[in-house]
Amino acid sequence: MDWSALFLSLKLALATLAVLLPLGLVLAHYLAFQRFKGRALVEALVMLPLVLPPTVLGLYLLMGFGGKSWLGAWLEQSFGVSLGFTFSGILLASLVFNLPFMVQPIQKAFEAIHEDLREAALVSGLSPWQRFLKVELPLAWPGIVSALVLTFAHTLGEFGVVLMVGGSIPGETKTLAISIYDRVQAFDLAGASQMSLVLLLISGLAIMASFAATRNLTVAKRS
Amino acid sequence: MMSAGMRLGQTLELSVNQQKPMRLEGDLRCEPGQLLALVGPSGAGKSSLLRMIAGLLRPEQGRVTLGADLWTDSASKLFLAPQQRRVGMVFQNYALMPHLTALDNVAIACQGDRSKARGLLEKLRLNAEQIVRRPQQLSGGQQQRVALARALAREPQVLLLDEPFSAVDQVTRQVLYRELSELKQSIGLPMIMVTHDLDEARLLCDQMAVIDSGVILQKGSPESIYQSPRNQRVAELVGIQNRFQGLFEKRLGPPKAHASSIESESSTSGLGLLLWGTHPDNPRLEIRDKGRIDEGQRVTWVISGDGLQLVPEVPNFGTSSGGLASLSVRPDTWPAQVIELRSLGDIRLCRIRVELPEPQEITLTFTSMNFPEVKLSLGSNLGLKLDSKKIHVMPARPEVS
Repeated sequence: MDWSALFLSLKLALATLAVLLPLGLVLAHYLAFQRFKGRALVEALVMLPLVLPPTVLGLYLLMGFGGKSWLGAWLEQSFGVSLGFTFSGILLASLVFNLPFMVQPIQKAFEAIHEDLREAALVSGLSPWQRFLKVELPLAWPGIVSALVLTFAHTLGEFGVVLMVGGSIPGETKTLAISIYDRVQAFDLAGASQMSLVLLLISGLAIMASFAATRNLTVAKRS
Repeated sequence: MMSAGMRLGQTLELSVNQQKPMRLEGDLRCEPGQLLALVGPSGAGKSSLLRMIAGLLRPEQGRVTLGADLWTDSASKLFLAPQQRRVGMVFQNYALMPHLTALDNVAIACQGDRSKARGLLEKLRLNAEQIVRRPQQLSGGQQQRVALARALAREPQVLLLDEPFSAVDQVTRQVLYRELSELKQSIGLPMIMVTHDLDEARLLCDQMAVIDSGVILQKGSPESIYQSPRNQRVAELVGIQNRFQGLFEKRLGPPKAHASSIESESSTSGLGLLLWGTHPDNPRLEIRDKGRIDEGQRVTWVISGDGLQLVPEVPNFGTSSGGLASLSVRPDTWPAQVIELRSLGDIRLCRIRVELPEPQEITLTFTSMNFPEVKLSLGSNLGLKLDSKKIHVMPARPEVS
């Protein structure tokens, strides 16, 4: 059992959630409620990682942020941050890769809020910010929970992009999924299945937790 | 003068003139303690006007003022956000927050002050057990009270009601009508209600504005609008059944000083002849001429119910069609036949056909209070007495191709 890989995977998943949740909320809110030119384009760009082969995405990220690119060089020089084959690099890849998984469910949940309710909130004297906290957020909660779970589970299982951008450096970029692949390559099927079982359990639990959370909420709403 | 400390309602005024994104033209005025009803077909722009007052919609060109306060003024680019104007609004389907209890729904409108929210809900007769329920667990009438409590929680300066009774049953509606009338007297605020139910509007409102395709066609008391609709469209929209075509034929000049038949007020204006219908052989009615209609102009005319009476005697002007038009004495009673009778509970509808060269149909509504002395049965012949002083003439709508 590769504990450091498991730990790294969890760390990556949690870091992804921490960065992507606020970003996803802002973006989803904007896409759900604002009408602007180029909205379709932005929506398409958000969805793109969903259909793009992970290797292609990984390659572009490597070319864009790697040490040899001007952006990578600038980051390295100014901040000492290196994105090629580092944890920061796979985190960035994970953020991009998970964007649709975070934004899409939240956006749908916001869009499902009846316009009357949002207007009623304003007429009741709430500021847009208070409306967000007291009306939009609670009503979109099931969507937010499923976005969190999807992103979490998806990050744990991410393979292609991580391998492209991060390689397989133990403790730095070698996640559980990559460790499983390594084990299989080394004909250690017992070790691979042990770790796969752990991944299966965690993912299963996450999905069940999200179902329970959203179900409780919808039941409370209906009864 | 009132003392400065006294809270006094102020007059709300709105004027708008925009073509995009939808056409909206006209102005409204509602005084404190008054209920103004906006009526018109769906899509006419009634709700848009409410939303403009609430600050949910910004007019291309327009002004909204409350007393001396400017809420919206496109000329100076002033636009207060909804939370900056004290408006209470009851939405069409109440728009109660499904994730909050009745109490919390009201509390969000008074900065979370639950005891105030509780007081308001109790005043509107919701009990302690009901106010901790969520909106879905309340009846339509209870939801409406919660919505009203929320609207009042902000201590609004104007109360807006968007089809407030559309989602409740008839029995509850009667109760709510009474409560609204009481509320109107007690709060002393300008109140504006959108409705498509004309009876409701007539029953409840002091002032009425008729809106069609975004244009405010006519404003005034319900009585004045029903008695003298400005044009054919208004008559249609407020549901005046007995509308007729006609031709304004000629002026008769000032009436002679008849002591008997003509009352004094008509002596200030002349008399005119109105062809009933379009057929030249149809009779002419003698009407008051207010000088607004040109000679030879096609008109639409209406007559209020109290100008029509059924009598048992059937007048006989002879069989030749020229007989009617050539009458030297202008009769006020016309031969008619009952062609439809319908009973709607307490109300009876009776459609009759007036036997003219070009027959005309009239619908009469009777309640047990004003039931006619004539025995009504299908096909029976009787006389229709028509008081031409109750006729209101307006320009005909240009033909729509």
